[in-house]
Amino acid sequence: MKKLRFNRSQLCIPYAVFLILFVIAPLIVIVYYAFTNGQGHITFKNFASFFSSTNTLGTLLYSFSLAIVTTLVCLVIAYPTAYILARSNFKKKYVLLMLFILPMWINFTLRITALKEVLSVLEGNISKFPFLNSVIGMTYDFLPFMILPLYTSLLKLDKSLLEAASDLGANKLTVFLRVTLPLSVPGIISGMTMVLLPSMTNYVVLDMLYNSTYIMGSLIGSYFSAYDWNNGSLISLVLLVIIFIVTLVTNRFSDEDSNGRGALL
Amino acid sequence: MKKLKKIAAVSAAFALIGAYGAAFAGCSKKDDTVMLRVSSWEEYIDLGGWKDDELIEIDNPYNEELGGVIGKNSMVEDFTEWFNSTHDFKVKVEYSTFGTNEDLYNRLSLGDVYDLVCPSDYMLMKLIAEGACEEYSEEFLNNGWYTENVSPYIKGVFTDYGWEKYAACYMWGTTGVVYNPEKLNDISDVNTWEILLNENYNRRVTVKDNVRDAYFVTLGILNKGKLTGELTKEERSKILNDTDGETIAKAEDVLKKIKDNVYSFETDAGKSDMVTGKVVANYQWSGDSVFIMDEAESDESSPVELWYSVPEECTNLWFDGWVMLKNGIDGNEQRRTAAEAFVNFLSRPDNAVRNMNYIGYTSAIAGETVFDYMKWNYGDEEADDVFEYDLSYFFGNEKYKIKTDAANFDFEDGDRKIINRGRQLFTQYPSQNVIERSTVMLDFGDKLGDINQMWINVRCLDVKDIPIATIVIVSVVIVVVVVGICLYAFRYKIFTGYKPKKGYKRVEE
Repeated sequence: MKKLRFNRSQLCIPYAVFLILFVIAPLIVIVYYAFTNGQGHITFKNFASFFSSTNTLGTLLYSFSLAIVTTLVCLVIAYPTAYILARSNFKKKYVLLMLFILPMWINFTLRITALKEVLSVLEGNISKFPFLNSVIGMTYDFLPFMILPLYTSLLKLDKSLLEAASDLGANKLTVFLRVTLPLSVPGIISGMTMVLLPSMTNYVVLDMLYNSTYIMGSLIGSYFSAYDWNNGSLISLVLLVIIFIVTLVTNRFSDEDSNGRGALL
Repeated sequence: MKKLKKIAAVSAAFALIGAYGAAFAGCSKKDDTVMLRVSSWEEYIDLGGWKDDELIEIDNPYNEELGGVIGKNSMVEDFTEWFNSTHDFKVKVEYSTFGTNEDLYNRLSLGDVYDLVCPSDYMLMKLIAEGACEEYSEEFLNNGWYTENVSPYIKGVFTDYGWEKYAACYMWGTTGVVYNPEKLNDISDVNTWEILLNENYNRRVTVKDNVRDAYFVTLGILNKGKLTGELTKEERSKILNDTDGETIAKAEDVLKKIKDNVYSFETDAGKSDMVTGKVVANYQWSGDSVFIMDEAESDESSPVELWYSVPEECTNLWFDGWVMLKNGIDGNEQRRTAAEAFVNFLSRPDNAVRNMNYIGYTSAIAGETVFDYMKWNYGDEEADDVFEYDLSYFFGNEKYKIKTDAANFDFEDGDRKIINRGRQLFTQYPSQNVIERSTVMLDFGDKLGDINQMWINVRCLDVKDIPIATIVIVSVVIVVVVVGICLYAFRYKIFTGYKPKKGYKRVEE
C-alpha cells in the first residue's frame, strides 16, 4: 500500500474550501446584491442613495465618532496597564494578565446586562446619557483586545535599548518618549484596529444600553429585516471598503516592524 | 492550473457529499414515521415540568385521572405520545423557534422548510397572498377540537379577513400600556397614547422597537380627534391602516419627538424595567403585560401592583395563527394529517389552558374548560363588591360572565359599562368597549419600503440636525490636534533654532 503523503499545497485544501465557501462566495453575493435592484437589474441607485442621504452619512459619522472615542479611551486605559504588566518583575503577572482576559470568557450579553445595572445605580436614568453609556459599554467589551497587543509588543521590547538610552543621558521621561513609545507603535496600531473596526458595528451594546440612535450595524440589520437585501448589502460593502482602507493605512505604519503585533490573538 | 483543478475536484466532491446528505434528510424514509417540522415563537408553548402544587384544579373531561390540568411533560412530547397511540403511523416533531415575523419570512425565503408555522396576522396575510399556504382539509374545518372550541368571535374575524381556510388562530390579544398607578401624576395620562410624548414622564416610558407597533401608535396620536368620535369599523380600519406618503411624513415627526422622550425602544427589556421600577409606563402587548403584572406582584422584596390600560384612541388587535406551508407539506397526506392533528391537539381545551397558564397569553379557544380556568384564576364571589365581567362576546353565550372583585377594574363611568383600565383578567380578555375600538393592522404591502425608510430616518442621526456649534467645536479640536502632531513631527525642519529638552543633550554632527 502506498504511503499516504501530503505536500504543502494539499494541506491548504481544507482552508481553501473554507475560504471559498464562507468568505469568497458570500462576498460575491454581497457585491451582486449591492449593485442590483429588487428585480435583479444592475443599478447604481443604492450607491447614489447611500451617499446622498443625510441619514446614512450621519450614521456613518456617528459610528465613527463612537468608535474613535472608544478607541482613545481604551488606549488611555490599556497603555499604562500593559506597560506596568510588561515591565514589572511581579511574579504573578500572568495571573494579573489573566484577570484582564477573564471577562472575555463570560458571555458578553451577561456582562453588558450587569453593566447596565451598575450604570443605572450610578447615573439614575441611563437613557439620559446614551453616547457616554455606549462608550463605556464598548470600552468594557473591547479593552482586552487593546491590552493584549500592547502587552506583547512591550514585552518584546529589548531592555538593553532602554539601558543604552539612560547611559547616553536620557531621563526616564525621555526614554519613554523617544524609545519605548516609538517601539510600541505596532502594538498601538494593532490594538487600535482591533477596537476601532468592531466598535463601528457592534450595535448589540447600543441596544442593550438603550441608545436609540442607529450605528452602521443596526442600519444594515434594519434593511435586512425589511427584506431590502440590496441597500443592506451596499452598506456592508461600504463598511468593508472602509475597513480595507483602514487596514491598508495602518499596515503602512507598522510595516517596518510587524513582529510586535498581537501574537496572542 | 493543475493545482486549481485539484482544488476544484475536491470541493466538488464535498459539495456532492453535502447534496446527498441533504437529499437523505429531506425525503422521509419509507417506514411509517413522519417528520413534522414546526416553527413558532420563542417561549410560546408549554414546556412542561410543572410541580405537583401547580395543578390547576378544574374539571378536566379530557384527562380525568389528573384531577385537573397540569403539564408534567412538554406539549410536544404529549402530542407525540397521543398521536402515536391513536394513528396508524408515527410522528416525530422537530420544533424550532423564531424571534420575529421578519426573521421567519427571511428564513422561508432563504429556503428553510417547515410544515407548520405560527406567524402573526399581517405575516400570515402576506404568506396567504403569496400562495405559500396550504388549505386546511374539509375534515379539519368541520370536525375536531379546533373547530368545535374556537371562539365564535375569533372565527368571525378570521372569516371577515378570509383567513379561515388557511389559518387556525392560536393566541390573540391587544396592545396597551402597562403602568404603575402610584407613579403617575394623573391617572388620565395613561388614557391616551400621548403619554409617550408627555414631558412629565420624560425618559420614564418605553416604546416597542419595531416599526409596525411604533407606526400604529403614531397614527393613533395623529388622528386622536377622529378616533375618539363615532366611527364605523371600516372607517376606523381605514384610518389605522393609512400608508399615504403625507401620513408617513407626519408620523416621522411624531416618532422623532417620541424618540427624544422615551426611556428606550425595547424588544424584551421593557418587562424587567417595568418590574424593577425603572420606568412608569411601558407600551406592551397584552400577553406580556400579564406576565409583567404577575411578576411584579410576586416580587418578594418589593411587590408592586401594576395595571394595564387600553388608550381611548385605538388598540391593535393581533392574532398569531398556525398555517401549513405548501413547500413543507408537499402533497404528503400523512404529513398534512400530522400537522392538522398538532393544531387540534393544541386546541383541546385542557391543552389550551396549559399553554395559557404557561406563557400568559390568551388562547383563541373558548368553551367550558377555558372558562372554568378563568373562574379558577380570577373568580371571586365573596368579594365586598362583586362585579360580573361580561365575556359573552368571546365565549358566545350570555351565561359566560365571571363574578369577580370590582377592584380589578378601573371604571370610566358610574354604571360600570366602560372599562379602559384593569388588571390581569381585563388584560387577557378586553372588555366589549375595547373590542369596539380595536383594529387589525394589515400588511403594509408595497409601502413597506417607504415606512421602513421613515423608521430609519427616525433612528439615524441626520447630519442636518447636528448643531453648528458642535460642528465648529469638533472641527477646531481636530485641526488643533492635527496641527500639533505636524508641528511635533516636523519640529526639526520648522524650528531651526531647536533646543534640546531638559535631560537630553543633542549631539552636534
